[in-house]
Amino acid sequence: MKTIEFESQRVSLWYFRLALVLFILQVIMGLWLSINYAFTLPQELVNVFPFSTAREIHTNTLVAWMLLGFMGGTYYILPPECDRELYSTKIAYLQLIIFVAAAVTAVIGFLFGWTRGKPLLEIPFPLNALIVVAALLFIANVAMTIMKAKVKTALQWMLLGGVTFLALMYLFGMPFYRNLNTDYYYWWWVIHLWVEGAWEIVTASIMAYIIMRVTGVERQVVEKWLYVETGLFLFTGIVGTGHHYYWIGAPDYWLWWGGIFSALEPLPIVLMVVDTWMHVRERRNPIVNPLTWYYIVGLAIYHLVGAGLWGFMHTLPPVNRYTHGSQITVSHGHLAFFGAYALLNLTIFYFAMPRLKGITKYHDTAGRWGFWITTIAMFTLGLVFGIAGILQTYLERFLDIGYSTAQQTMMLWFRIAFGVGLIFLGGVLTTIWHLFTLKPSDKQPAEEVVVTPAANI
Amino acid sequence: MTGKTARLIFWLGTLISAAIFLWMTYDFHLQTPKYTHTDKLSEEVVAGKKVWHKYNCNDCHTILGFGGYYAPDMTKAFYRLGENNIASIVQHPEVMYKNSFRKMPQLGITEPETRQLIAFLRWTAEIDNRKWPPQDEKFVEAYKLRESQPQKLDKVHLVLQACGGCHTFEHQGRNVGGDLTEIANRITYDRQTLINYMINPQSVRPGVTMPPQDVSLQTAGTIADFLLSLKSHKEVSQ
Repeated sequence: MKTIEFESQRVSLWYFRLALVLFILQVIMGLWLSINYAFTLPQELVNVFPFSTAREIHTNTLVAWMLLGFMGGTYYILPPECDRELYSTKIAYLQLIIFVAAAVTAVIGFLFGWTRGKPLLEIPFPLNALIVVAALLFIANVAMTIMKAKVKTALQWMLLGGVTFLALMYLFGMPFYRNLNTDYYYWWWVIHLWVEGAWEIVTASIMAYIIMRVTGVERQVVEKWLYVETGLFLFTGIVGTGHHYYWIGAPDYWLWWGGIFSALEPLPIVLMVVDTWMHVRERRNPIVNPLTWYYIVGLAIYHLVGAGLWGFMHTLPPVNRYTHGSQITVSHGHLAFFGAYALLNLTIFYFAMPRLKGITKYHDTAGRWGFWITTIAMFTLGLVFGIAGILQTYLERFLDIGYSTAQQTMMLWFRIAFGVGLIFLGGVLTTIWHLFTLKPSDKQPAEEVVVTPAANI
Repeated sequence: MTGKTARLIFWLGTLISAAIFLWMTYDFHLQTPKYTHTDKLSEEVVAGKKVWHKYNCNDCHTILGFGGYYAPDMTKAFYRLGENNIASIVQHPEVMYKNSFRKMPQLGITEPETRQLIAFLRWTAEIDNRKWPPQDEKFVEAYKLRESQPQKLDKVHLVLQACGGCHTFEHQGRNVGGDLTEIANRITYDRQTLINYMINPQSVRPGVTMPPQDVSLQTAGTIADFLLSLKSHKEVSQ
């Protein structure tokens, strides 16, 4: 059986590999942050490698490996979806080199204090310019491939729209704003309109493709769901940005608009779970690699819990007043990023990497261990941060006990978080090792009825 | 549902939401001068914001609730700590947090930068943000009360607001400089020495880490009386 249809799909492999390396670095930095919370470090060490530096590496490697996964995933699905080779593999590699060079320089720069000091968007201007160049090359390459394609699908346009929206929003984080309140107003145009806008569109599109491929469900059905889901994501998500504007010094109506629209944000995610579940049940193809299906279903459920449920719990202003900027945000942040986007990337990798290596059915024992350890450990971590957050909220904001005293009371949970983090790292290393050393399974399946998307219109 | 309906849902949902959001963004810009009193947004405040970014303060401290959760929120820090305490902490964190379970790095922030940073934090504290964070509101009220009518303050209130930035009293306040009841039982100073100590600690105990306090003689007197009254066997020398 032919595993990939177009030679140019191979460019995605390097995107995936580099993304996985950055993922390891991100988790190691996370553990270091956890040590900072759980133990007292000597002043000399804090002076040369402060928490702030480790945190910017943790969050920037997160963003970098997410974007690498999205870009690689897009390059992987675009040729079969357009029924032609990529417009240019040279551009794809050039863009990857620029992006990774900027990311590596940024991390080294952080160690020497070269930073813009703006959370998650710390990369200094010259590197930002490089990122913009890489993004333009990417969008041009995607757009040209789609324009030159003979078949036109809704999924192509949705994907192009998603990545363009993503790149466009990044620009709002680049200028220096004199006013802190305006600064954070536009900071959320990047962060919120990414994770609750552009990234969701990319996720929905890529998942629509993968589900269509593995289940063999009809394109019309999948694309209908895609329109409704992305429509709802944007309807709730755009005005939902207001749930970040409650306490920045903005008019009162944000409490209502932000509160109500963001409270509706779980709806499209519920739809995603329903649609994944229905398509898995109505599949026309046999299950070849159970682990890939674990990831597809796991992503849908975890996405709903981490982003939807956890977000909903503290999105309404009366609750948010007490939970905002506490460990509860940490809990939500971890579950949402892992549930929605880390799992999306891993789903892409498990879908694409075996095919890129010419493997139809892979040996998956280590991968299963990795799946269960990472998902359970991260969920536990979310609960532990959540308990610490509830304690913090209660001690600091209800009992009026000072910050330090509250933090010391939470120490037990910071230490448990460190332990759980170690287990999580173990799971991540297992998963990544498995992905890097995929081997064909001894029991090869019978020939699969492949419904190629381009033919399935 | 037909494909056409699905497409309609997509475009309607997206465009309606985007239109509402853009209109509110326009209104936000119209109203921001009122909420953040941009008339006070001086060049020194902007310079202070640059200092805030330069040393990456925001990846440990939250401000307006955003950023790192590793250290206290800085939105109302100006009211909570006051000018002198902020300066001491920023310039000598290794001394201020010598006994703390969590450290702040010595960042090498210069004196002019410290002044700019304080201007920035003062401006930030004045943003009308619906009294958030809730736990700092007492410091805001106390600061304003201290400025307007110091004679009317309840003693506990006054002491806690003025000293609570570093000292605890009955489990409230930040425990950097020790608990006030313990201190009261330890010290042997009389009222006048205590007042001198508060206004210029170095003049009483050279080398001590407590920074000079920006309080009036009258307030210092009230605090001294209060502290002396905490001594367990009430050896208060009038």
